[in-house]
Amino acid sequence: MSGAGGFFEDLFRGLLQGTPPGAVYALVALGFVLTYKTSGVFNLAFGAQAYISAAMYFKAHTLWGWPKWAALVVSAFVLAPLIGLVLERLIFRHLRTASAVSKLVVALGLSVALPELFNQAARFTAVAGRQITGIIPDGASVFYDPFGVYRFNRDELAMMAVALAATLLLAALFRFTMIGLAMRAVVESPRMTELSGINADRTSAFAWALSSTFAGLAGVLIAPRFNSLLSTDFFTLVVIAVAAAAVGKLVSLPRALLGGLGLGWLIAVFNTFLPRWSGDHTWLRPFQENLTPSLPFVVLFAILVLWRAIGREREASDPLSGVDPPPPALAALARHPKLTLFTRLFGVGFIAVVGSVVWFRAGVLWMHLVTTAVIMAVIYLSVTVITGMAGQISLCQGTFAAIGGFTIFQMADRFNMSVLAAALLGAGVAAAVGAVLSLPVLRLGGVWLAIATLAFAFFFDAVMVKFSWVGGGTTALLTGTRVPRPLVGPIDFASDRAFLVLAVVVLVIVSVVVIQLREGTVGRTLTALRGSEVAAASIGISAARARIIAFAVSAAIAGLGGALLSMHQQNVNYSTNFGPVNALFWLVIVVALGARTVEGAIQAGAAFALFEPLILKGDLLAWILRGEDHLPGLLPISGSWRLVLFGMMAIQFARHPEGLVEHGKRRASARINRWLEAREGAAP
Amino acid sequence: MTALLAASGVSVAFSGIRALNDVSLRVEAGERVGLIGPNGAGKTTLFNCLLGILQPDSGRVMLNGVDVGGWPVHRRARAGMSRTFQRVELFSDTTVREHLLIAERIRNGSGAFWKDLIGRGRPRPEEIAACDEVLELLGIVELADQPVESLSLGRSRLVEVGRALMTGPQVLLLDEPSSGLDRDETQALAGTLRAVQESRGYAVLLVEHDVSLVADFTERAYVLDSGSLIAEGSTAEVLADPAVRRAYLGSFEVS
Repeated sequence: MSGAGGFFEDLFRGLLQGTPPGAVYALVALGFVLTYKTSGVFNLAFGAQAYISAAMYFKAHTLWGWPKWAALVVSAFVLAPLIGLVLERLIFRHLRTASAVSKLVVALGLSVALPELFNQAARFTAVAGRQITGIIPDGASVFYDPFGVYRFNRDELAMMAVALAATLLLAALFRFTMIGLAMRAVVESPRMTELSGINADRTSAFAWALSSTFAGLAGVLIAPRFNSLLSTDFFTLVVIAVAAAAVGKLVSLPRALLGGLGLGWLIAVFNTFLPRWSGDHTWLRPFQENLTPSLPFVVLFAILVLWRAIGREREASDPLSGVDPPPPALAALARHPKLTLFTRLFGVGFIAVVGSVVWFRAGVLWMHLVTTAVIMAVIYLSVTVITGMAGQISLCQGTFAAIGGFTIFQMADRFNMSVLAAALLGAGVAAAVGAVLSLPVLRLGGVWLAIATLAFAFFFDAVMVKFSWVGGGTTALLTGTRVPRPLVGPIDFASDRAFLVLAVVVLVIVSVVVIQLREGTVGRTLTALRGSEVAAASIGISAARARIIAFAVSAAIAGLGGALLSMHQQNVNYSTNFGPVNALFWLVIVVALGARTVEGAIQAGAAFALFEPLILKGDLLAWILRGEDHLPGLLPISGSWRLVLFGMMAIQFARHPEGLVEHGKRRASARINRWLEAREGAAP
Repeated sequence: MTALLAASGVSVAFSGIRALNDVSLRVEAGERVGLIGPNGAGKTTLFNCLLGILQPDSGRVMLNGVDVGGWPVHRRARAGMSRTFQRVELFSDTTVREHLLIAERIRNGSGAFWKDLIGRGRPRPEEIAACDEVLELLGIVELADQPVESLSLGRSRLVEVGRALMTGPQVLLLDEPSSGLDRDETQALAGTLRAVQESRGYAVLLVEHDVSLVADFTERAYVLDSGSLIAEGSTAEVLADPAVRRAYLGSFEVS
């Protein structure tokens, strides 16, 4: 095989090389579209499902020594559809009439929780060093070379064959069978379908089992291409599938198939040619080095932004949706004044007690945790603005926070700038990026916007961070992206107590700003837009302007929070703090606890930082009484159960889309209202 | 003399099918005009062209003699075109008064971003008074603090009218206000609409299929059929026109 043949030979080789992974992408995209079409769920947990099957296959075949066929049957044809059925039955069936956004949040929660749940249940850990094998004997070592330019191994042939068979099966199903017809009907309106005598539940369950089988197959097939089994790699797989599915606007199965193949080809062709070009153009190098991981996101982003037809049509609306009862009003709308007074007093008292305990009794560890909680609350207020107020799902809040952190790092490192000034500058830079980003994605709504921001976050993660003027480049890998603590006149915030005060001050300021915006013109404009975009336009509201403001404010808050967190840890710690998957985590935790209120964000910050050490590892009472840092674990639960609990929280959110805090508040205030009214009624 | 709102030669085709064919229409200041036609005649398409939701393939839309062709919906709204919706579009999670307050804030233009930051974004007493005045006019002031989810359809329509009035319209476009209402509710709505229009003096363009409401409420009317105007003139004349009755009214009798 000649190394660098003619251009066309190279192109041909690239296309051949890209076909097997393209076939797997197509498989995932098909399953993804199938789920979306039949249940309206944008199933980002698809990658998690693929991971579970791949891990099961690895465990059964490599670790337990089962024959390949048995491992394949159990992992892809038993476990995978079973998971699909369980998800459908326990979760998504009850969500059929929920908004697309709440379904998305649930899927995000599952995408984090499912792999952990499997790892815990099956005592499975990511295995490095052991060869991950495909489904064919001698899959990686026997080659075939039909065209004389590229040698397919047996695994690759299996990928293509399985994808082809699955596609044909699916096409036949839709065309010739009753259940295929029923699946198409359920998409239009589950309730209408039921009226015409079709069991929508059973149809949707079947679709879930089928698409989950696709996910499982894809997971088992693609696994040998990874070095070790990590659920994050499989999350990337699902993003690729989303890009492929977007080619078919999420509804066309044939186009999703083409999209998957096309992405496989595109990645392989770029990998063939880009290394040559970047030899001549050094500025291309960071792009070239990170192109393979980031190309799907770039393609996805480009499709979403450039393709005018996407996001134009309104989200699929059920013709019978008018029969749903209206959502209940905010708790604050119907609250007894005495209750308001009481909760305010209680709030002040609670903060005073906790504050004094932390101030006087806490050691280093607890000071650190409380500071983290305060800073996370600041970051979460950015979600309150964009999601709670503007009703938009942004999955790149972590990126905005990272921009804040990197700005401080760069300014302090290069220009010796005052750290607090750099933090404000970071917020400004994040706001600018947020505003610029909002321009192309503005016309996208709901799920599409979420996906575009996710693509942006992954792009930033794969490409931008590697630039020396962003993440510090290779030197930062050695020295770390160090950030100093601020020093203002006589006050040195290197002291943890002083820094906690600073964080609290920032939190108070940001909270006041958010409340002012919510009560002011910005908040009421966004409420109007959320309620009805056409009606808002009819009274002169410019949706574009309002959303740009919301994006910019949200990004600024996230940037400020990210800057604070970097100062606190004295390092940007990009991948542990601000990676794309973290932002998913943030979004779910905030919306689950309550995205509409400032309290919700603060409680989410506390939950994020304190839940694990307090509830899972520590004894709260002992700490308050003795002020000890390290405590014996109260509950013998490993830390990764946190992720499982987190998934449960996301599911809980689906039942109470107003947020758990808000839900609890409504229930409690209704009860206390009744009690107070009864007492007042009895008094005179 | 230029008309308040004028469409001239508007044509729209949807993938080859002519939805509107060279339609012209005028609404003078303070006038009540009806636009009727059978289902699929193009009423909604014309309505959307006037409001800027849809761009016509050819033809012009003028407001006070200014070509507003390229203007987006919200800009036309600020220039004096306001509307209600056939399927009620209210802002969920807000009260009746809040609907009017946000419209008033947009109209008076005092909603700069920095004012929110210094705490000047909350509703001011004079804004609340202006809203309550309109609610009084519509006879729903007692509902001011009700969440809109709790309202009946007829009252929701009135909230829409109130919200539209807060924008200080020169012309109010009503999109099938009687749909979903029974005869008594329709008559009550018509009475309120007329009383409010007389006291405020804006022009009205009423798109309606309920002929009795059009006959009752409007002075002039246009009739669309299959995308073309088949009649225009005083409402009584138009409704008596045999061509109109053939195309649309069927067995309807005008006394």
